Amino acid sequence: MAVLEEPIKEPLVLKNYVDGEWIESKGELHDIVNPATCKVIARVPLSTPEEVNEAVEKAKKTYPEWRRTPPLARARCLFRLKEILEENFEEPSRIQTMEHGKTIDESRGETRRGIENVEVATGMPSLMMGYNLEDIATGIDEHLIRQPLGVFCCIAPFNFPFMVPLWFAPYAVASGNCIVVKPSPRDPISQVKLAELVDEAGFPPGVWSIVHGGGEVAQALLEHPDIKGACFVGSTPVAKEIYKKCGEVGKRVIAQGGAKNFIVVMPDANLEKTIPALMTSFFGNTGQRCLSGTNAIVVGRNDVFYKNFLEAFVDAASKIKVGYGLDESVQMGPLQSKGSKKRVLGFIEKGIKEGARIILDGRKTKITGDYPETCFLNPAVFEEVTVDMTIAKEEIFGPVANIMRAKDLDEAIRMVHTNPYGNAASIFTSNGKFAREFQYRVECGDIGINIGIAAPMAFFPFSGMKDSFFGILHGQGKEAIRFFTESKVVIQRWW
Amino acid sequence: MQLQTASQVINFAVELEDKSAKLYEDLAEKFKQYKEVFLSFVKENKKNKLLVQRVYNEVVSDALETGFSFEDLGVDDYLIEINLAEDVSLPDVLKKALDIEAKIERFYLNAAKKSKSFLADVPRVFEKIGKKRDERKEKLKSLS
Repeated sequence: MAVLEEPIKEPLVLKNYVDGEWIESKGELHDIVNPATCKVIARVPLSTPEEVNEAVEKAKKTYPEWRRTPPLARARCLFRLKEILEENFEEPSRIQTMEHGKTIDESRGETRRGIENVEVATGMPSLMMGYNLEDIATGIDEHLIRQPLGVFCCIAPFNFPFMVPLWFAPYAVASGNCIVVKPSPRDPISQVKLAELVDEAGFPPGVWSIVHGGGEVAQALLEHPDIKGACFVGSTPVAKEIYKKCGEVGKRVIAQGGAKNFIVVMPDANLEKTIPALMTSFFGNTGQRCLSGTNAIVVGRNDVFYKNFLEAFVDAASKIKVGYGLDESVQMGPLQSKGSKKRVLGFIEKGIKEGARIILDGRKTKITGDYPETCFLNPAVFEEVTVDMTIAKEEIFGPVANIMRAKDLDEAIRMVHTNPYGNAASIFTSNGKFAREFQYRVECGDIGINIGIAAPMAFFPFSGMKDSFFGILHGQGKEAIRFFTESKVVIQRWW
Repeated sequence: MQLQTASQVINFAVELEDKSAKLYEDLAEKFKQYKEVFLSFVKENKKNKLLVQRVYNEVVSDALETGFSFEDLGVDDYLIEINLAEDVSLPDVLKKALDIEAKIERFYLNAAKKSKSFLADVPRVFEKIGKKRDERKEKLKSLS
């Protein structure tokens, strides 16, 4: 199978998208490198504080008119965006593979899940409706209205460069707000492509803006007095910091942090179906997602089942084809950067030092095609891992699987709860009672039952608990609409 | 060659539909008495291609086993060759077309079986297109 054509032929110089115009930044430019080929594919600016201010000011100026635009007219912009995204489905998908490294199937999946949020937000005229009650006292009525607040910002992570801003932006703008998106400086190109399509969809200038940059731009957005709220997805320390900062100044915030997700495999699990699901869970997106499985707990004292599971898991992991994601036959791409790979290697070494047994050593790279090894690793599997080991506690964000054992489901759930994170957890079983117990007791926001990646659809909130989430309302669906609107209550009496 | 990822399988299906369409375009040109029948096949091929692409694009999700759904789906048995000799006779051409359709049918039905872990929509469409090949085979037989 041939490698699909790259949509970026020459390195791009990225611009900010402010007030409906593409504006060259005065900030320093940084290289964006394709992690598979190690070629520079774009240069991204680190915007200046003045440029951030300009973007927020323009959005603020746009807001009053956009707010007064009827919800149906706002929704029509999103209908047009949805159509344009469908027509252009392939290009942003291939760009994601080029800038992030994920496989083309994964990139297309990311594009699809982004579009689904646009689809849900088109229902805003119904979704945003309030409610009312006549005669709360005789002759007095009360009703609730949802109103937009102003300008929001979105600070996006590198692992889903296209999709994550779409967990928020469609709901923000459809409910009458404006939004300034700061893409990750590591892979911002697909957001630029998205903004081009937003422009084509005919949103008024200033409704949806893009400002490039790193931590300083994020800081400037968070500190801006005209930003009403922030949406963040990234690491837990930064999520905590943002939550604190927003709390201090009274901004709304959705702050999604890191994760360490457990997968519990019961002895009655159907291994034939479980193993492919676990391959996607542990090694999909090269392990760089907050819903990735990282710790597999095999339950029961049945050594034969454990041995069968381990053999099947290692066999499948060892067969994963690693290479450039635009090669359609490839099942796992590189890590997003050289630094990411270095970090994962550090964890592998720590695992070995702390006594875990490496049974599949992903450091021995085998790549399909002629690409530099710089960002590549193959899947790694550890056995005899305990919950107190660094590799079991901390988020590795790479293709490393830890296999543990528990005598029963109670012990497995206790092991899950030793971890401070609470993003996702899954159980694989044929037994409804085990599944129900797991769903009921496990303190994680996203639960999978015979599902390796418990990724909520656009019409459900992207949940998370404990150190994985700071805030009250989550992104996506109805909760996002609540987040982007104020509830105003009107009580009226007429003589 | 083995196909493992959803992207590979979908593209292979698209390639089969394209080749099949090209064959019937050529046949429509060469054997004018059956032009309408052959062109109706071409139309159907284009529809199938669209259906396959659409079902994939609409259900693909990074959260599903798109990269691990088609283990052991070898394609060597389903490779088709559509070139026609200049002086090829109608009976020979119909035999060739029947063989090709049988291969395509087997591909779809086998791929449907191998893709059970992927969202049900993909195998359902594959099965539907595969089974419809039977009707086409009957039509081809009726021409000979």
